[in-house]
Amino acid sequence: MNPYDLIPRFRAQYDTNNQEFSISGVVRPQSIDELAPSLTLLKESIARVRGILYVNIRRLTQMNNTAFHAFSRVIIDACRTRPDLKFVVITSSVVGWTTRKFGRLHGLEPNITVEEYDSQFYPGQSFLEEGGFIPILRTQTKMTWRHERKILPRHGMQPGIVMADICCGIGDFAVLVQKEFQPARIVALDHSRSSLDYARSVAADFDIRGIEYTYGDASEMLLEEDQFDLVTCRHSLQIFNRPELILKELFRICRPGGRVYITNEKNSHCLGEPRADSIQWTYNEVAKLFKHFEMDVELGPKSRRYLIEAGFEDIRVESFMVTNGDGDPQDFADVITAWENVYAGDMAVRRGDDPEMIERFRQGFQDHIFAALHPKGYAGWPIWVASGRKPS
Amino acid sequence: MIVASRDTDFGPMIQVDMEIKSFLSMWLYCDQISSYLARMVSHNRSDSVRHSNLFSSVANELLEVAFRTRHPDGELACRVSRQGRVDRIELTFPCTPEERQFYREALSQIVGSATGDRYMNSVSGDLSPSREVVLLELAVDYKAKLRLEETEADTIKLVVDLPLEDLPSEPV
Repeated sequence: MNPYDLIPRFRAQYDTNNQEFSISGVVRPQSIDELAPSLTLLKESIARVRGILYVNIRRLTQMNNTAFHAFSRVIIDACRTRPDLKFVVITSSVVGWTTRKFGRLHGLEPNITVEEYDSQFYPGQSFLEEGGFIPILRTQTKMTWRHERKILPRHGMQPGIVMADICCGIGDFAVLVQKEFQPARIVALDHSRSSLDYARSVAADFDIRGIEYTYGDASEMLLEEDQFDLVTCRHSLQIFNRPELILKELFRICRPGGRVYITNEKNSHCLGEPRADSIQWTYNEVAKLFKHFEMDVELGPKSRRYLIEAGFEDIRVESFMVTNGDGDPQDFADVITAWENVYAGDMAVRRGDDPEMIERFRQGFQDHIFAALHPKGYAGWPIWVASGRKPS
Repeated sequence: MIVASRDTDFGPMIQVDMEIKSFLSMWLYCDQISSYLARMVSHNRSDSVRHSNLFSSVANELLEVAFRTRHPDGELACRVSRQGRVDRIELTFPCTPEERQFYREALSQIVGSATGDRYMNSVSGDLSPSREVVLLELAVDYKAKLRLEETEADTIKLVVDLPLEDLPSEPV
């Protein structure tokens, strides 16, 4: 027997508490006999539930027609014998074929509905996508790159490596990395189709090759395990309400001996002179505001703990301060203006803050801009960089 | 005006050749070959991971069709070529005269607006999906264009054009 035969290719389980039957992995049997235990489990699940049975296929990467027909058959039969029961099939927007294929079942049985799991784990994404944020993201990357290009080699970056940039946003970091370090391959993944469209158009306009922009969910990626020498994930754990899920995936796709590199902020440590008190008050409020939306923009110094708990070794942590002295102070001021627009103009309003609160909140950003543009002023935005090695 | 592509417009990308006896010795070859081909040809597509996932689905189904051949001798060849946004899979494998006739009839049915309904009927039916249904599903779910190409006796060549780049990301 080939050892490949022994590797479990898929997994089926039933969660009583959530009335959820889930199947994941690659399901390509030669005959339905191979599926007997899973089909029995599905039938038993159906027998046990009342109301709704959730069928979770978010991590079902492949399923051949033999298996699809077998599982569909059980569900369709149950619809006919148990009209009181509803089936909700949860697919992922990332796995191209599942929603389309399972969606057809609704046409056969109205009690079967298909829901595409999407960006509910990304509370910050809508703010950033809706805010016309792209020019600011570019400016931010330009400002942080001055520091990161020197820092990255200490965290595993070198020519010829195979790397992934997860939560790549508009893809500008991947472009800068490619120009500076010439990795052999970059896979850049994000959960925003509009950002990826932008990234692809930039790559096409500038004839940039070698970067594969791909749509995906950072917490459940289709990428195969153990394949990247370096996995970067910048400014993203902090806007994810369950960062440990992303880290688990970053760990999975990193090859043993490779490194995972993350950057995050501690927003309450943004600073400036003059008008330090007002600035500090506002950024303390920024941290509270993000917490309200289940994001932790204070995550930076917690990176070490997160990496250790995710199973990494040889943890390296350092920090740098982006300041108004890095290049054009107006760039710094433009970034703060964009923050003010999104945080005070959108998020605080959505939280239900009163106008006086918002006015004071805005003032701190204005004072930060004042400090950035003042001939004798100083304005800073601190970033924490951390990386860990996946044990061999 | 849409002009049909000439075969010469498709640039070859990769080809896997195998003795059919070896191929038939292990079912998992279908999965392994389709996954390998998908990975190899998807790097420069607009979304490499998505393309690879979809391509692998199609290639696997085709290889599973070939696996069910009743002709025990000869060669299996799976060739992938590309023209612009369309990928072409050419799958050549040995088959009996009856099977060749079966495929001829099956592919002649995969035309017209009723393909979706016929596929739906097959899903709601009791029988496991036949090779005809598998090919029908490729046309319905992946907008594949399938045809047979004449080959020497005892072999068959399925030519499948896949516009995966233009397959909508959102559910239909």
